[in-house]
Amino acid sequence: MEQEKFKIWSIDYLSGALDAEGKKTFDAFLESNEVYKQEFKDLKNSWNQIENLETPVPSEEMDKNFYEMLYAHKEEKENVFSKIEGSLKTVWQSMMRPQLAYGILILCIGLGLGYFMNSEPTVSTTIVNTETEKIRGELVLTLLEQPSANKRLQGISEANKFTKANDKVIKALLQTLNNDPNVNVRLAAIEALTNYLDNPIVREGLVLSIVKQKSPIVQVTLADLMVALQEKKSIEPFKKLIRTKELDKSVKEKLETTIQSII
Amino acid sequence: MQALTDNSLMLKVKSGDTDKLGLLYERHKKRLFGFFYNMNGNPSISEDLVQNVFIKILKYKHTFTGEGSFDAWIFKMARNIYYDHFKNYNKKNNTDALSSMEYRLEDSDNLDSKMELTDNMVQLRTALSKISPEKREILVLSKFKEIGYNEIGEILGCSEGAAKVKAHRALKDLKTIFMQLDKI
Repeated sequence: MEQEKFKIWSIDYLSGALDAEGKKTFDAFLESNEVYKQEFKDLKNSWNQIENLETPVPSEEMDKNFYEMLYAHKEEKENVFSKIEGSLKTVWQSMMRPQLAYGILILCIGLGLGYFMNSEPTVSTTIVNTETEKIRGELVLTLLEQPSANKRLQGISEANKFTKANDKVIKALLQTLNNDPNVNVRLAAIEALTNYLDNPIVREGLVLSIVKQKSPIVQVTLADLMVALQEKKSIEPFKKLIRTKELDKSVKEKLETTIQSII
Repeated sequence: MQALTDNSLMLKVKSGDTDKLGLLYERHKKRLFGFFYNMNGNPSISEDLVQNVFIKILKYKHTFTGEGSFDAWIFKMARNIYYDHFKNYNKKNNTDALSSMEYRLEDSDNLDSKMELTDNMVQLRTALSKISPEKREILVLSKFKEIGYNEIGEILGCSEGAAKVKAHRALKDLKTIFMQLDKI
């Protein structure tokens, strides 16, 4: 038998790992092997000595030290929690201090004032805007009365800046369209008036101005506009215009097409 | 509560229920003390080392997985603590070999004096102190009936068979030294 196997087998026997059958086999093996029998006898003797080796009982001091350590560990852990809790409490308490309450009150008042003061400019802005429109209206009227065509064009360009239609300005623009000696100014007036096409006065004014126009380019522009608006009221003035002798031939054709398009 | 296994108790400790460590201490304190005492022969050092085991358990509780034998886990820890302690001891005392740490029966105070040590027992302890710590530890662990050789193998970091062969050699060495002492 291999020495290593015997070593393992003998330790199995000594440690009680063998069952009754295994022990019997081992005993039988020893009986037939005198050398192993002697070796095992020595082993068993040493094993028994170790088994019988007495060990003192630990002192109560060990228990005391252990429980003190465990208690200290628990306390340390709880202290960490209570520290966090404590700091949260302190923050909360400091928040509840009267100084802080006053601070918050003042802040609220400040915010309130800020809000009201901030909303005031909105009111004043409206006023300012109204005033600007008013001034711009005056400016447009003044500029349209200027002898310089450039100034009058400038007045029309100012009129384009209105957000809301102004009756006075519309009237002035229509007057410019009908009476201005400069073609460019009249064309600019048409363009400015197109901003207020939803206003019936504007539409009517444009229709009425058809017969008053002598310039072919203005006549054509108005014709295009009327087609775009599909303004039936413009048919009669166009027909009237066609009947005039001095009308340009190409404009006449254009107006005829226009009438056809509107019908 | 007895129905709770060591592993489940340790898992509770791991999850923060450190009170359960008290139960584990009560279950294992004697065996751990026995291991340390039979390894170094000094009861007060052994008590300190038992304490160190439980301190280390608290410190490294997160590493416990709950798988395998708790005995193997705790004794592996105890073994590391033992060797670390005497490595530091030897460094401090300028001694190199671990085996130079002798059984110090003369240091053993009240606890030993309370025991009626027979001549035979003194001789056995002396013989035990003369064998290497590696051989001594396997004999000391073999004394614990609850710990099988598969667990001893796990503690020592070898196979079950290798642990048995080591135990055999340790017994033979012990016998030889014991006989030598007998002749003196």
